[in-house]
Amino acid sequence: MARIGVFLCHCGSNIAGSVNIPEVVEAVKKLPQVVHVEDNKFTCSDPGQASIQQAITEQRLNRVVIGACSPRMHETTFRRTVAGAGLNPYLLEIANLREHCSWVHPDQVKEATAKAIDLVRKAVARVAWQESLTPRQVGITRRALVIGGGIAGIQSSLDVADAGYEVILVEREPSIGGHMAQLDKTFPTLDCSACILTPKMTTVGQHPNIRLMSYSEIVDISGFIGNFKVKIKKKARYIDVSKCTGCGECAKVCPVELNSEFDENLGKRKAAYIPFPQAIPNKYTIDKRGYPPCRVACPAGVNAQGYIALISQGKFREALEVLRRTMPFAGVCGRVCIHPCERDCERGKVDQPIAIRALKRFMADYELKVGKEKATPVERTKEEKVAIVGSGPAGLACAYDLVKQGYPVTVFEAAPEAGGLLRYGIPEYRLPKEVVANEISYIQDLGVDIKTNAPVKNLTEIFDQGYKAIFLATGAGISQKMGIPGEDTPGVLHALDFLRQVNFGTKVSLGSKVAVVGGGNAAVDAARIARRRGVNEITIVYRRSRAEMPAIPSEIEEMEQEGIKIQFLATPGEVLSEANRVTGIRCVRMELGAPDASGRRRPAPVKGSEFTVDVDNVIIAVGQGVDKATLPQDLAYTNLGTLSVDPLTLQTNIDGVFAGGDVVSGPADVITCIAGGKEAAISIDRYLRGVDMKEGRPEIVKRVKEVSKEGVKPEARHSMPTLELGRRKEFDEVELGFDEKTAIAEAQRCLNCAVCSDCRECEKVCEAKAIDHEMQDEIVEADVGAIVVATGAKALDHTQFGIYGGGIHSDVVSSLQLERMMSAAGPTGGEVVRPSNGAHPKEVVFISCVGSRDERTGDGYCSKVCCMYMAKQTIMLKEHAPETHSYIIYTDARGPGGKIFEDFLTRAEKAGTTYMRGQIDSVSQQDGRLSVSGQDFLTGAAFNIPADLVVLATGLMPSEDAANLFQILHISYDAKNYLLQAHPKLRPVETAMDGIFIAGCAVAPTDIPESVAQGGAAAQYVLKLFSQEAIEAEPMTSIVDISRCTGCLLCRQVCPFQAVESETLRDGRTVASINASVCKGCGICVVACRPGAIKLRGFSDQQILAEVMAL
Amino acid sequence: MKLEYQPKVIGFLCNWCSYAGADMAGTSRMCYPQNIRIIRVPCSGRVDPLFVLKCFQRGADGVLISGCHPGDCHYTEGNYHTRRRFALLRDFLDYLGIAKERLRVEWVSASEGQRFAEILSDFTTELANLGPRSKV
Repeated sequence: MARIGVFLCHCGSNIAGSVNIPEVVEAVKKLPQVVHVEDNKFTCSDPGQASIQQAITEQRLNRVVIGACSPRMHETTFRRTVAGAGLNPYLLEIANLREHCSWVHPDQVKEATAKAIDLVRKAVARVAWQESLTPRQVGITRRALVIGGGIAGIQSSLDVADAGYEVILVEREPSIGGHMAQLDKTFPTLDCSACILTPKMTTVGQHPNIRLMSYSEIVDISGFIGNFKVKIKKKARYIDVSKCTGCGECAKVCPVELNSEFDENLGKRKAAYIPFPQAIPNKYTIDKRGYPPCRVACPAGVNAQGYIALISQGKFREALEVLRRTMPFAGVCGRVCIHPCERDCERGKVDQPIAIRALKRFMADYELKVGKEKATPVERTKEEKVAIVGSGPAGLACAYDLVKQGYPVTVFEAAPEAGGLLRYGIPEYRLPKEVVANEISYIQDLGVDIKTNAPVKNLTEIFDQGYKAIFLATGAGISQKMGIPGEDTPGVLHALDFLRQVNFGTKVSLGSKVAVVGGGNAAVDAARIARRRGVNEITIVYRRSRAEMPAIPSEIEEMEQEGIKIQFLATPGEVLSEANRVTGIRCVRMELGAPDASGRRRPAPVKGSEFTVDVDNVIIAVGQGVDKATLPQDLAYTNLGTLSVDPLTLQTNIDGVFAGGDVVSGPADVITCIAGGKEAAISIDRYLRGVDMKEGRPEIVKRVKEVSKEGVKPEARHSMPTLELGRRKEFDEVELGFDEKTAIAEAQRCLNCAVCSDCRECEKVCEAKAIDHEMQDEIVEADVGAIVVATGAKALDHTQFGIYGGGIHSDVVSSLQLERMMSAAGPTGGEVVRPSNGAHPKEVVFISCVGSRDERTGDGYCSKVCCMYMAKQTIMLKEHAPETHSYIIYTDARGPGGKIFEDFLTRAEKAGTTYMRGQIDSVSQQDGRLSVSGQDFLTGAAFNIPADLVVLATGLMPSEDAANLFQILHISYDAKNYLLQAHPKLRPVETAMDGIFIAGCAVAPTDIPESVAQGGAAAQYVLKLFSQEAIEAEPMTSIVDISRCTGCLLCRQVCPFQAVESETLRDGRTVASINASVCKGCGICVVACRPGAIKLRGFSDQQILAEVMAL
Repeated sequence: MKLEYQPKVIGFLCNWCSYAGADMAGTSRMCYPQNIRIIRVPCSGRVDPLFVLKCFQRGADGVLISGCHPGDCHYTEGNYHTRRRFALLRDFLDYLGIAKERLRVEWVSASEGQRFAEILSDFTTELANLGPRSKV
């Protein structure tokens, strides 16, 4: 039988003012099991608590109900009171008569009293079901985690570390220091920020108890007070901090420059950088954001951004080295590549893509111009010989990659000269033979043995010669026939045969009128060659329209300039002849129907539309196929007539024999063939080493996400100079290539999408060998007992305030930008200048509350520090240049620190700053000067101030992604993403989560002294925890009644903390079992449990239902 | 505001967000209709649909379940369970002859005292307009 005592608190007039306490007392007396009722002025006071203890003893109470304030306020206090009288502290229930009743229902005494009676009745019903609980004692990991390396986090770390405990300080940026490091002077003492901050930073860096993890982020936290487990992601900084000496050579050679975040975009930094000279740790970081779009778009993965960055610096040889890391064909691809890279180039979204192909060609041209150095042969480190059949782009690319890995490689070529289609298929005016020969000789110089006039008919013979793997890259070398009458008449030529003969130098005689059938590059090449051979009238007959034409658009354009006509939507049905001589073709008009498998619209003949074209020759270029006759036997083919291979490994049906390029894909472009050769090289290397050929393929590349185009001024790309029309002869190249100046200018248009261009110049100069471009993010796990969150705030972006001219006029700057200009180590070397022209400003207008205290433009709250820093900046401006005059247009001028803060505002005024209370209407620009107009609230007059510089005092807001971190930590935050304190007055650095403490601007805007004080206070709480022997773990956890459990383990599925384990009983039954040290007491499993076998101690079904039934 | 019918409302509030949000309404002295009686639970995921049915069986005119905003749950994912469970229960209520509007699931954070007061005013008015509930 429960003996319940009820204690009702007046809380002065806080409860008693709205609730008729005597009436409640009378009503409660009538409740069952209630044996004692009393009321108190202040139950939480000493006499109030003593009276509870006295009643417990005298009335032999075994349950206690207290009607008072919220249990979140005093539950712990009263549990202690009850325990003091020898009662289990969990036999107490609190009715929330203040926050949930009297305070929200003032002046409604009748209703509030009735509600209070209900709330107490509910608590009485519940407490009868309460049971004794005993907290478990658990140990403490005496190591703290501090998140955020601003001044608050630095202070916390130092205080905990100085007390002798280990600290892990995690900072997201490459250096600690936070915003304080950006400041020049600090208010109200005007002492130098760096001078007071950097010694603390250095101490952190050297402290034996502090493990500093910069450039790192928290990814996961589990556990509870005293026993947290954290996972920290160490972001790859591509520089080994244990080796980096901070010498800065990497930054010197880095070709990529971007706006410095530390200098608020006023200065520049490199992709390899240190945010500021006094950074801790004093180690460099490489800002690498994935693969640039050009590199992702390239089938062979050529790092275009890398060589373009180096071209922009005039490092042409080094640029070519970057290309040659991937493939050897700068000159070839620089001329004939279909350049998918340019299609995806981000610069194209601003104006036009970078002329990547032209730049690639430039590197090759430059090498030939200045004189090529013979490449040093690669050292043979591998035994296994590799045979490559075919010396087209696929075969040579494969040979190139393998020889660089140290394999002995032999290329077998059936033709008299190497190069495949590069030599025999592409006309000289597009790709001079000299260029092909030059690049092939480079491959030979590296050690590739090329045997010409060496057709391979029998694979066994090759294996017998000791080759361990074979790559077939014999191409698609025969022209497809059209299958129309008269196709075999002399005078009908096939494009490939025609091009081959021309390239071999065989004489081919043509009439004066030629028709070329087809729309691909072979057709265009054939037509243009015919023109060069003096044919007057050339017509291309293509069955689809211009939009579907697969040839390179610029080639089509040049061809038309040369006077070659195209007959679209027509196809020949017959070749007409007389006396075994071609006289013409009969064509039929076509119309386009639905798209086919290739996505192009399928043409269909139009009935009765036949027409005849008189020609002397017909060149057929309707496609190419694989010549099975030239290939060894026993290979498997697809139904398209190409070789059948594994799509990932390119291995054929014969072990050790691989194939790639056109022989597999059918006729394709050069870069796709190169990609095939490279893939085969990967497979062959893995095959020979005996490792899995499929693992990790296809490679998933991380494309850079967003590319900033801020401040990029549109500028057309440099066009390729071409040979004048009248001077185009057979062998003269039409495209002339960039000169050095044009190449540099074009390369400078590159947006450096991935930031680091992966050019690897830094590797060459780093004497400490600290650079590792292959570095990966790393997850570090650690056990900690307490956590301090000091993630700080950021200043609002001033460019979003267009109403004040922010982001519109360059002479409208943010207060942090002004601060950087004032700093002697800043982007202007301590000179305050107008960004537009570099002149010193005479009249400066400060606009306060930008984004603060104004729901229209930002947040409603006061950012607290702005009034003071504006006063500081006006004083400093005067010190920098006495002739400067500053205005502060304010909403209220606040000095929120008592003591000397108000004096500081007066000091600014005495220094000559004009304070005007008012509102800004507009900031406009006239004749190179700004004009600030608005209303003076004190005089009521309108004002119009001419200004050289306008400074926006932007407010503070929590750091980006702060809410993500708070969610990981399970700590509460408000609608503005500021952290919530456990109590806004009494527990300002604690959260509702035991063991997690907070400090600094992450909680609310604070100035430096407050941040330091809070950082220190948070450290105190950490130390208080660490000074305890052990802590008591919350006993309100779930427990399974195994007699009712059916072993369905649904509870295991729903538990967010993996607290449920399965257990096999002696009779073989499986039941759930809950690990109390992991369970956090949410009760999700209780609801999920179908047989009702789980009970959450402290919140059992009976307890909650008792409350429901009492209402 | 004088209501013609005073509905009886029972609220299940999670300890970490919504109960604290209701405390915040009190601390800030925001007034809202007196009709609600609040039951504290550790997590909105602790609320068994049977509790809600019991409330209606015992004569409640409306039931409010309130937890942390999705993503903010103190127990990571308790409120997701709540959201699913009560979406199902609401559909089921119509079969029992209880208007589904009588059950509300809301998200109120510890800083949203104002929001809590607004939700209650709105809910109470809606329930008053629905009038007394026919017996189950």
